[in-house]
Formats: sequence, structure tokens, C-alpha cells
Amino acid sequence: MTSTSRALTVRWPLWLALAFLATFAALPLAVLAAQTVLGPDGFTFEAWRALLHDENLGRQAGATLQLGVAATAISLLLGGGHAWLTVGRDLPGASLLAPLGIAPLVLPPIFVAMGFSELMPASGFWPCAFLLGVAHAPFVAVLAARGLRATDGRAYESALLLRGRGRAETWLLRTIAPELLAGCLLAFLFTVADHGVPEFLTVKGKAWHTYAEGIMSRWARRAVGTTFAELQSPIVAALPFLAALGCLLWAALKLRADAPDRGVARPLPLRPLGGWRWPALLLPFAYLTAGVGVPVVVLARWALGSAQKREPMSLQYLQQSFAKAMDQCAVHLGNSVALAAGTALLVLLLAVPLARRSGRSSPRLELASALPIAAPAILLGIGLVRAFHDSWLRALGNDFYSGFGFAACGYVARFLPFAALTLTGQVRRLPVAAEEAGALVARSPVVRAFRLHLQPLAPAAWTAWVMVFVLALRELDLAVILPAANATAVRRLANAVHYQHEDWSGVIALMLLSIAIVVPMLPSLIAGRRLASLS
Amino acid sequence: MRARSTVSVLLAVLPFLAACGAKAAGPGPRIYVALDEQFSRPLLDRFAQELGVALDQRHDTEGNKTVGFVSAIREEAGSPRCTVFWNNELAHTVHLAKLGLLEPYDSPAGRDLPSKWRDEEHRWYGFAARARVLIVNTKLLPDPKDWPTTYRDLLDPKWKGRCAIAAPLTGTTMTHFTALWRKLGDEEFGRFLEGLFANEVRLLGSNGATMKAVRDGEIPWAFTDTDDYHVAKTNGHSVACVFPDQQDGGIGTMLIPNSVALVKGGPDPEGGRRLIDKILARQTEAMLAAAEGAQIPLRAGVPGPQDPSVKPVGSFRQMDWDVEWTAENLTTFNQKFSRRFGK
Repeated sequence: MTSTSRALTVRWPLWLALAFLATFAALPLAVLAAQTVLGPDGFTFEAWRALLHDENLGRQAGATLQLGVAATAISLLLGGGHAWLTVGRDLPGASLLAPLGIAPLVLPPIFVAMGFSELMPASGFWPCAFLLGVAHAPFVAVLAARGLRATDGRAYESALLLRGRGRAETWLLRTIAPELLAGCLLAFLFTVADHGVPEFLTVKGKAWHTYAEGIMSRWARRAVGTTFAELQSPIVAALPFLAALGCLLWAALKLRADAPDRGVARPLPLRPLGGWRWPALLLPFAYLTAGVGVPVVVLARWALGSAQKREPMSLQYLQQSFAKAMDQCAVHLGNSVALAAGTALLVLLLAVPLARRSGRSSPRLELASALPIAAPAILLGIGLVRAFHDSWLRALGNDFYSGFGFAACGYVARFLPFAALTLTGQVRRLPVAAEEAGALVARSPVVRAFRLHLQPLAPAAWTAWVMVFVLALRELDLAVILPAANATAVRRLANAVHYQHEDWSGVIALMLLSIAIVVPMLPSLIAGRRLASLS
Repeated sequence: MRARSTVSVLLAVLPFLAACGAKAAGPGPRIYVALDEQFSRPLLDRFAQELGVALDQRHDTEGNKTVGFVSAIREEAGSPRCTVFWNNELAHTVHLAKLGLLEPYDSPAGRDLPSKWRDEEHRWYGFAARARVLIVNTKLLPDPKDWPTTYRDLLDPKWKGRCAIAAPLTGTTMTHFTALWRKLGDEEFGRFLEGLFANEVRLLGSNGATMKAVRDGEIPWAFTDTDDYHVAKTNGHSVACVFPDQQDGGIGTMLIPNSVALVKGGPDPEGGRRLIDKILARQTEAMLAAAEGAQIPLRAGVPGPQDPSVKPVGSFRQMDWDVEWTAENLTTFNQKFSRRFGK
């Protein structure tokens, strides 16, 4: 066996993962980029000039950036504030409130929008920013909490003794800045890329549009009068922006990944809030009410029959709603769960070799595996459709493009970075010595992988699986574009509320939420571990 | 060792392969459906069972209504994936016929449809229509004398910022506006559009959204389709429906049928033809009329909706719209006016 073929044999999982990334993340974006310059309709300099003078696009880009900044500020205030007040604080109920920082993540942002739009007109700029800020605040909350837990309590106490409370708190804030920055960047990225919430609010009367809406609208109408240049121009303009965003994201995630190893010998001491102890409860309360309470109450009221006026809300009506939900959407719910679970499993299979490689010897690989996060789902979806809708697989009689396999590949490409980065951080924390010793034993790579390498990764792998499962379960943007994913519960719900089907939509939404909550909690419930481990 | 590696590889890719094959094109026809999934899925499930075919149903999103599938059928022209297209309006189907993407099929079940609503070359059939009506909140406007009666009321300063219409970028509103463009001519239609903006008419994302804005009392009235109105009424909301432009000399109320067509080169065309026969059956029109959507049958003798406010064909003045011209000019309409709506 030559050294090359041996390398291929031993490292086939890595090559498989790289091939996957190349096929389902890089290729679609490359196809989008290539189509702008190749072919008879290639994007010309005139088109670039037109692009610069395109008022609609300019307005959409401006609105998107403003929305991103405003929503991120709200995420920082709510998510960061939640972590700051509940981790290592004497806030009443802090130990219960702290792990709930992640709770709004299980709600698809469109559920939050549905909830609030029932209570107030939500078509203005600030309501939209608030909704997206709340929906993405868990990124900041979780990472900030992680930063606080990783900070050495002795260093904080030294700062406290030497410089006083105010400066010690400032020092602490500076210490967790990488995590805060990473959280804010994730929140910003998810906000500017979000199509579902702005589109939902447009349906409700929002008169200004975001970039993702513009791209999707032109894409949907591509065969009824949208010219190639019109369709392509927002995509062309988005690509350099994406590259810059990707680099920023990688930098932030790298900071985050490197941050936890600060030698935690002792956790932070309990920091007193003094007279603010009770008033400070307002912030976590407001965060959780906005992120979970309001949407869940609205959905529950829908299920009980609040949207119809024939009869009062009742448990009997809930039974009817449940029956309708099973009749109308059980298949979609099953599809959602299967797609999310399958995606999470595939992501793990691909992320482990990537993480092992990038955590040990190829840090650049981490950048490669992180970049797909920067591609908005709408853009990635359009790229996937462009690259695969006429795929050669059809000639073999397998309509891969229309099936759930293709949808799963799209989801995996979108969420692989989350798992890869989580696992890379874990790999870096594991001692190399044991692996080196294992390599000297004459056992197959597969045996070594299972017995030596994978076992220590299990907790991080479970975290990654849960994260991807929840994100895939709530994914709407890719679900709107990829054919098979059209038949998922979130897409059906986003559609159903147009039609006054609030009753069974409420039931399905609550079932989806229950699944997203119960599945991640299973090991904690079975093993009796504290819920803090989830965050 | 090699055997173990092979087993591991197989274990790793097995779920993936299973997923790939899960929804691979089966032996039956595939249908693209733009009509609301709640109404169409039960019917299609039943038809599939009666025909004994494995029917692959694909349902459109409300936001993309119709145009998403039209785009897909056009893109898939080289290697079609869809057998039957059930559109919830007519003009886009006629547009596809003009592009040569539809296969003629002389369905025996469609022969008794009015000639206006079926293609002479049998490429498409219109059936079970919705009317473009005004939905009124009867709590905000209890006196019928105050109700709007014509599309021109959208421009009345009395309703400034207090009425709505779906943005005419997709679905029945796009068809409605394109037909209106033909009816009014360039100049008057241009004034009408400017008048909408000047009067701050709320441009919402769908007819469902306009209905909800009225139903929930945000505005007193809006344009919508009869199915949306009827569901609101069935759910006990205080709403009424006005068939607009019924006055002498008025342009009449626009009626937009569903349409069904066989896509050229799609899988299992024979299954597709049998499915079309089922969809075009008189019984289907009756079932669609009896359902929550209260679709209006086009054929005489088919029982219509029980709700008398959803009027049967022949009992109101219909807008005489040019189907062929509208279909030909959908793309021009999109190119010319979509930017005016900010997207």
C-alpha cells in the first residue's frame, strides 16, 4: 500500500467530511459566484454600475445593517444582561434562571414574531429589531455565561481587593469580552440573514424590506419577469460581504474557542447586587417573558380557540385543535423531527474528523469549516438549488434533489460549523499523550477511534448533537427553498397562519417546542444531572 | 481490519443513503398544488387512494403563491419533475401553456366546463373559482350604507390609510392587477397605482393577511378572496362580504378559477391524466364548494356554497377579463411594477 493510499484509507472520514463541505457548502456558493460572470447572461460592468445605483437594493442593504446592529444591541442587553445577572450573583432564583438563558433558542424566531404580532402592531423597525434581538439573544446569553463560568474566581478576588468592586466588575467584563463578541457576532449574523421574521412582518404590513427578503422575492418570481441581472445582482453584492462576515465570525469563534482554558481553579465568588437584588430580577424576567412566555401563551391560546369567535376558549376546543393538528400536520411534524435528528447525526459523523484534524494539526481547517455559517440560509439554499436541480443523479433514476437526502445535506452544510467548532474546542482540551500512546498499539484506526478518541468527545458530541437538532428543528429559511424540506412543520406553520388555522398551528407549534425542550433534557432527566449543564 | 472498516463506512453512510431514497421519485405522478394545503391535501389523498397511485404532493408556500411553482416548472422544462399542476388561479397556467410547457389532454371530465374557462387545445382547464371581493368588519362599519362598493373606493380619501390590498406580486392579486391594467389602460392604471400610494392603502403580504387585518379590527375593509372571507365568517368573526362594482356601468367582480394542467414530459403521464379527471369531476367542484374555502362552482347544476353571501355564478355582474392577454403580460407587469412595491 502506498503512503497516499494508506493516508486515504486511514483518513477517509476526514476526506469524506471535506468532500461534503466542498460539495454542499463551497460548490453552491461557487456556482452562484460563477454564474455571475459566465454564460450569455453574465454579470457585466454595466450591471455592476446599475447595482450601485439600484435604490431598492441600497435601501434593503441599509435597512438590513441597521436592523442587524439594533437587534444585536438588544440581544446584548437581554442575553448578556441575563448571564451577567444570573451567573455568580445573589439574584433570587439565579441557579434556576441561569440555565434558562438558552430557552428562547428552542423557539423558532417566527413563533416569537407570531406571538408579538398578536399583541401589538409589529410592522415598524423597532418591533422587528426587538423580535430578532430577543430570538437571537440566547447566543449572547449562553456564551457570556460560559465566559463567566470559565473565569478564575481568584483573579476576580485579587482585582476586588486591589481595585474595588467597580473596577473588578470592569475587569470581569473585559475578560469575557471574547465570548460576548462571539455571541454578538452570531446574533448579528443570524439577524441579517433571517428571512422568515421580516417576511412574516411584511405580510402583516411592514412597508420596508430587508436584503434577504429582496433576494427571496426576486428568486420566487424568477420565472415571471425577473431578469437574470435583477436576480443575480443582490447575490453578487452579498458575496464579498459574506466573505468579510465569515472572517469576522471565524475570528470571534476562535477567540471564544480559545477563551475557556483560563485555568479555572475556583469559580467566581457570589457577587452581591446590594439594593438592586430584587429590581434586577426584572431583566431576566423581561427576557424570558419576551423570548418564551409571550409566544408560548399566544400559541396555547390559539390551541384553546382564541382566534375563532364561535365559542369560548375551552379544553374541549383544545381536543378539536389536537385532532385537526394530527390530521393536518402529523406528517410534517414527523418530517421535522426525522430531518433534524438525521441532520444532527450526519453533522456529528462529519464534524468529528474535522474537529480532530483542526484541533490537532490544521487550524486553517477550522476556518474552512466555520465559513458556511456566514452564508445566509436563503443564499445557501438558492446556491444548492442552482447547483443540484439538474444534477446528473437524475440520469441514474434517483431524484436526489427532490428527496429528504438533499434537504438533509443542505441542513448539514448549514449547521456543520456549529458542531465542528464545539468539538474542535473539546479536542484541544484533551491531552495528546494518550492518543500518541494509542497510536503505538497495533490496533486498527477504527478501534482506536471508538475506544480512545471518541469517548472523551462524547459530552461535547452530545452538546453538538442537541444544538444542531434544535437549530434544524426550527430552521425556516432553508425549509422554504429546498423541495423536500417544504414538508416540515415550521414551514407549514409559517404558511398556515395566513389561513386562519391558528388552532391546530398552536398545537403543532407547542408540540415542536416540547420536542425541542425534552430531547436535550433527556440525559439530564435520566441521569439526574443539574440543568446548568445544558447551557 | 478491512472488513471492520468497511462495516464502519457502511454504518456511517447508511442513514444518508436511506434519507436519499426516502422520497425519491416513485412510480406515481407528482402534483404541484398552489391551492391551500388544508383543502387540497384531503382531496388528493382520497383521489390517490381511489386511483391506487402513489401520489407525490408538493404544496406551495403562501408567500410564493403560484409563482414559486411556475418558476420551478419553467426551470425543470429540460427534465420535468411535475406531472400535474393544480394552480389556485388561471393566468399563470395559461402563461405556462403559451411557453409550450403543458401537454394537451382532452379530459372527459372537463367537457362540460364553460368554454371561457377551458383551453381550445385542452392544455388547461379552469374550475371551482374564487371571487375578488371586499371584506368588511361589521363592528367598525355596522351600517351597510357605509360599506365600500367598488375598487375605486381604495382611492377615496375617506378611507386614507384604513383599507388594504395584498401587494400584487404573486397569486390572485397579481392576476387581478394585470387584468385591471388591461381593463383600464396604461394611463388610468398608472393613476390608480399612484392613487393607492397617495391614499396610503396598506399593501400586505397576502389575501389572508388583508382578511386578518379586517377580521381583527385593524382596518374597516380590504380586498380579499371569497375563501379567506368565508373562513373568517365561519370562525364567527364579524365580517361581511361585498361583491364590488355591481353598479350600472361597473366593471364587475373578478372571478378567478382554479386551474389544472398536465405538464409536458412529467413522470407517469397516464396517472396524471387519471388524476386530472378526478380533479375536474363535478363532485370535486361540489366538495370544494362545501369545504371551508367555499369555492364557487363554474358549472350549472353543481351545488354551490351554503353561505348565501358567497354568490353563485350568474347572480352577480362578472368582470370580463382577458385571460390570454393577462397571461401574456404577467411578466411585463412584474418587470414594470414590482419595484414600485419595494422588492
